[in-house]
Amino acid sequence: MRIGILSFAHLHAENYMAVMQKMPDVEVVGIADENMERGQYFAKMFNVKLFDSYAALLAEKLDGVIVCSENSKHLPLVKLAAEAGVHVLCEKPLATTVADAQAIVDICKKAGVLLMTAFPMRFSTVALEIKKLIDSGKLGQIYGFNTTNQGALPEFHQGENLPFLKRDWFVDKALAGGGAITDHTVHLADMLRWYLQSEVVEVFATTNAIMHAAKVSVETGGLVMLTFANGVFASVDCSWSKPAYYPTWGGLTMELVAENGLATMDAAKQYTTVYSQKIGRPLWYGWGSDSNAGMLREFVDAVNGKRTPAVTGEDGVKAAEIVTAAYESAATDQPVKLT
Amino acid sequence: MGRTHAAAWAKLPVKLVGVCSTDQSRAKALADQYSVGTFDSLEKLLDAVDVIDICTPTHLHHEMVLQAAKAGKHIVCEKPLARTVAQAREMIAACKKANVQLLVAHVLRFAPQYAQAKAVVDRGEIGKVAVQRFTRCSALPNWASDNWLMDVEKSGGMLLDLMIHDYDFARWVAGDVESVFAKSLRGQKPGSKEDYGLVMLRHKNGAITNVEGGWAYAPGMFRTAFEIAGDAGLIEHPVDSSTPLGVYMKQNGEVADAPIPVNPLAEDPYTTQVKHFLDVLEKGTTPIVSAEDGLAALQIGLAAIESSRTGRQVQIAEVA
Repeated sequence: MRIGILSFAHLHAENYMAVMQKMPDVEVVGIADENMERGQYFAKMFNVKLFDSYAALLAEKLDGVIVCSENSKHLPLVKLAAEAGVHVLCEKPLATTVADAQAIVDICKKAGVLLMTAFPMRFSTVALEIKKLIDSGKLGQIYGFNTTNQGALPEFHQGENLPFLKRDWFVDKALAGGGAITDHTVHLADMLRWYLQSEVVEVFATTNAIMHAAKVSVETGGLVMLTFANGVFASVDCSWSKPAYYPTWGGLTMELVAENGLATMDAAKQYTTVYSQKIGRPLWYGWGSDSNAGMLREFVDAVNGKRTPAVTGEDGVKAAEIVTAAYESAATDQPVKLT
Repeated sequence: MGRTHAAAWAKLPVKLVGVCSTDQSRAKALADQYSVGTFDSLEKLLDAVDVIDICTPTHLHHEMVLQAAKAGKHIVCEKPLARTVAQAREMIAACKKANVQLLVAHVLRFAPQYAQAKAVVDRGEIGKVAVQRFTRCSALPNWASDNWLMDVEKSGGMLLDLMIHDYDFARWVAGDVESVFAKSLRGQKPGSKEDYGLVMLRHKNGAITNVEGGWAYAPGMFRTAFEIAGDAGLIEHPVDSSTPLGVYMKQNGEVADAPIPVNPLAEDPYTTQVKHFLDVLEKGTTPIVSAEDGLAALQIGLAAIESSRTGRQVQIAEVA
């Protein structure tokens, strides 16, 4: 299977590339990036061909592409890919507006290409255990979820200190769509929809911009309450509240309280703590299974089997609706109904 | 809670005078333990003491505090201060007028891990507080006399009686609360026996707080945790962080209960609390928790109940 990557703006592109290069049935044909400097850097790092333009890469009879651009640029890139008849795995969030997200779905449907939204948590071995537990019915009636998807300010996600490697678009409202809510609500929103097989009917959010106030203007602290059609409610802490010197970038946690008991999850809590004099602060080195590997396997299998992937574009639209409602709620101080 | 407070007072250089309760056998058992008498009316007990410690069901605090104030006695009152804002205001006014102390037993302020976190924030070590998280969940209570905790009219239920610990602490750390949004199991499914709640506080300075509370765990389980994120640092106290000991005994081939407490302290928070109250009464120390703090915590709890019932965000000003 011939795969390409469109843009390395999103940090996940690096991991996707590393995973795909190990997949025996995948040939990474190359990458394209509107930032040529960045493109050259990663082409060299992964020893793959850099194409002059997205169109040039898409002309290579690809089977699939992964879109890893800034959030607001997903739509034009997916459109290019769909028009070239190439199946698409699009980074989350699918788009910065519901209209763009829906347009992405419509364009792919019309072009007859598969569309998958990159929600890797559905492939986390840890998250899957909770899914199995819920599906077994052993928990009885589910009462609620207390969850977090916190992280450091995304600008810190960088390797070498080179200007074209800066990921500051994450805190640029025009490019990212917003701040912490956009970045960190969609994973849990999607997981909870998947767990409960029920849709969100109401969203409340309260936010602030106290942390990193000198650096960014978007919200850095956020609490979101999701209420589902089946009556279950869930709070999501999406804050960029992990300090730069925290032992890891952040994490995803969940407490699930139900009629028959409690289930807890700390998705990244498969790590070894390393105290290195060279590094100067403790670090958590994760050794758990890579969710991205499972997600990319599903994309490749879906394309091979010409079947709908386990996570769809519609799932991306639903997440975008929830994020949009969260911003509306934060602005109006009242819950927002979703239909 | 009367037994817990009595045990704490007994460690101090004060004289326990007596016990008064509608449950005579319980009163007798406690009085015997400390070789003191039982009193068949609050009036008679008040005649015999300098300080009264009120550990009755919440809805009775109002009447008893007014009676104690009228008798000119200093008062220690269990949290929540009262069942309604009007009651609390009247109690505060009566104590002011009678010039007696009204000390609200928000014991969390005296628990070492919480007191330490407050001190860390006050020293500026994590900068300006932005996002706080608190967890407090247990099994459905069955320990209270006549199980009054299960009567919402008397106790306010889990959203008030249990979660008020964290409302008070959150407010102590991050300042006054402006508005409250809450979801609860009983709000979603009225008539549920158990309860589970998620309450979001918005403080006047912009800080936001997530409080989780539950009367829904398996019997014997109790979990608390907190996290305070500021613009210059983070304080974490996860559920499993206070376990200095691990003792895993076998009994008939099964796991047995631990024979010793897993989190031993030289002085339990209840004793620290009454020691402080004694200092307030004898040395004029400024109370760490004021009666107004007790009122403010009550208002947050009542706003949470109102929000979970109506589905709206509720302003604290609405429950004034």
